[in-house]
Amino acid sequence: MFHLYKEDYLRYLAKAAGVIRGNKEYITELDSATGDGDHWLNLTIGFEKLLEKSKEWESVTYQELFQNIAMTMMSAMGGSSGVLYGSAYLKTAGLLENRESIDQGLLGEILQGWAEAIRSRGNAELGYKTMLDAVYPAASAYAKGLEEGKDSGECLRQMARAAREGAESTRDMEAVKGRASYREDKSVGFLDPGAVTMAMQLECLADFILEEDKASAAKDSKQI
Amino acid sequence: MVKKIMNEPQNIVDEMLEGFVFAHPELQWFREHRVVSLKEKKKGKVGVMSVGGSGHEPAHAGYIGKGMLDAAVAGNLFASPSPDQMLKAIEDIDTGAGVLVVLKNYSGDLMNFSIAKELAEAQGISVESVVVKDDVAVPDSTYSTGRRGIAGTVFVHKIAGARAAEGADLTQVKRSAQKAADNVRSMGMSMSACILPGLDKPGFSLGEDEIEIGMGIHGEPGIQKSGVKTADELAEILLEKIMEDLDYRSCEAALMINGLGGTPLMELYVLAASVKKLLVQKEICACRVYVGNYMTSLEMAGCSLSMLKLDDELKRLLQAPCASPAMTLQ
Repeated sequence: MFHLYKEDYLRYLAKAAGVIRGNKEYITELDSATGDGDHWLNLTIGFEKLLEKSKEWESVTYQELFQNIAMTMMSAMGGSSGVLYGSAYLKTAGLLENRESIDQGLLGEILQGWAEAIRSRGNAELGYKTMLDAVYPAASAYAKGLEEGKDSGECLRQMARAAREGAESTRDMEAVKGRASYREDKSVGFLDPGAVTMAMQLECLADFILEEDKASAAKDSKQI
Repeated sequence: MVKKIMNEPQNIVDEMLEGFVFAHPELQWFREHRVVSLKEKKKGKVGVMSVGGSGHEPAHAGYIGKGMLDAAVAGNLFASPSPDQMLKAIEDIDTGAGVLVVLKNYSGDLMNFSIAKELAEAQGISVESVVVKDDVAVPDSTYSTGRRGIAGTVFVHKIAGARAAEGADLTQVKRSAQKAADNVRSMGMSMSACILPGLDKPGFSLGEDEIEIGMGIHGEPGIQKSGVKTADELAEILLEKIMEDLDYRSCEAALMINGLGGTPLMELYVLAASVKKLLVQKEICACRVYVGNYMTSLEMAGCSLSMLKLDDELKRLLQAPCASPAMTLQ
């Protein structure tokens, strides 16, 4: 069992920002192959803005934090990614009403909410070669883990694996939405950069909680 | 090392707009929202605005002026502006008669607009839109994203702006703008790539002796790479692809030979001469011809050809006076 408090979420965002920042060449190369090459730039603008603004968010509630993340990503990034991440955070902000932490069960609801928001705002379906192909399988794998009564570590590892495999699966898909659909070959043979960066964030989230979880377990054992 | 006239790459859009408004004092800008608009508002006139990513200058703010747009909203480089930015512009230019937003057919632009429209309507502002999808390089499709909007969009700005200036209501302005969007086709080609400020290299590369036919205005891949062509050959390729899609024979049309940013005007005029020869053969009457950099892709070399098929209404609106930084007609 874990508890991801508001402060933890802010630290996770800083970590995710670092992961994105560090993958400039790789992400830009992916996007240049099938799109216009701006995905890394815009995602970075969004994360930098989040980090800058998060200093003012110390006294807000968890629900407000998600609303702020939504509005900041939507405004600062623009493009498809801004509105899709914005919709995801906005839709799930309500789940955090009167909550102080995200626990194992609530994270499942949030992941489902993200997938649902991205699907409906983007008017996309599974297999369209978009970020949905990373977040949807991740949410499903996590939900399955919960259903089977797996512990939080196992749920998180399954989620991260599904996100990564989902992103990888976009390689063989024909793009239906977005710029990758303009190519005559529908970008078959190329990874979808939006799915890859979504998977990076989900893996980062899982890693972050796993590390924190271990840290708290270690603390507990010391107390004993 | 990438050589560009800039300071910090992340400030490039704001600094560009700062300079733009400095050069055009009849315009104002809302810094926080990257909205540029005409200072003078005419009560009861339908507001017309355009939204889009930056890197296409003079689009979109260059088309703000009497008889054209009332406002333009700038996104990050090649990325749609956000709903709150669009809402700010809608609020600014609505004088009670509603607002028409000219969109280009990109997933991001459409999604952001859909939210902005909901927000504006919640405030009681009527908002309509026209989606331009003029690029014949991409197959038309209702299933997928479908055709891109490129330089032909400038004609839609012109027609919508002129109709609004006549005092037409929102439904009428939308109808005329939609007619323009339905009757405009474009086809482009590129000879070299552009580098996004903040990145270290171009998004694609073309060989020394290679060109790409049908490339989009963001460097999205085109339909075919080929060897270098003469101006006459290029004119034929571009026009043929356009004519396959819409029959202009024995019609009047407006023509735009648009530079993508890195091609000298000299070459664009040469292409215009080549196109002229073909138009004569096909009995197409070029009622008005625009040659220049109207919708660019940073420093990309290349061009696009756009044609708007005219009827009496579109011809009247095309020839109505306008005064904007990038297009003026007395």
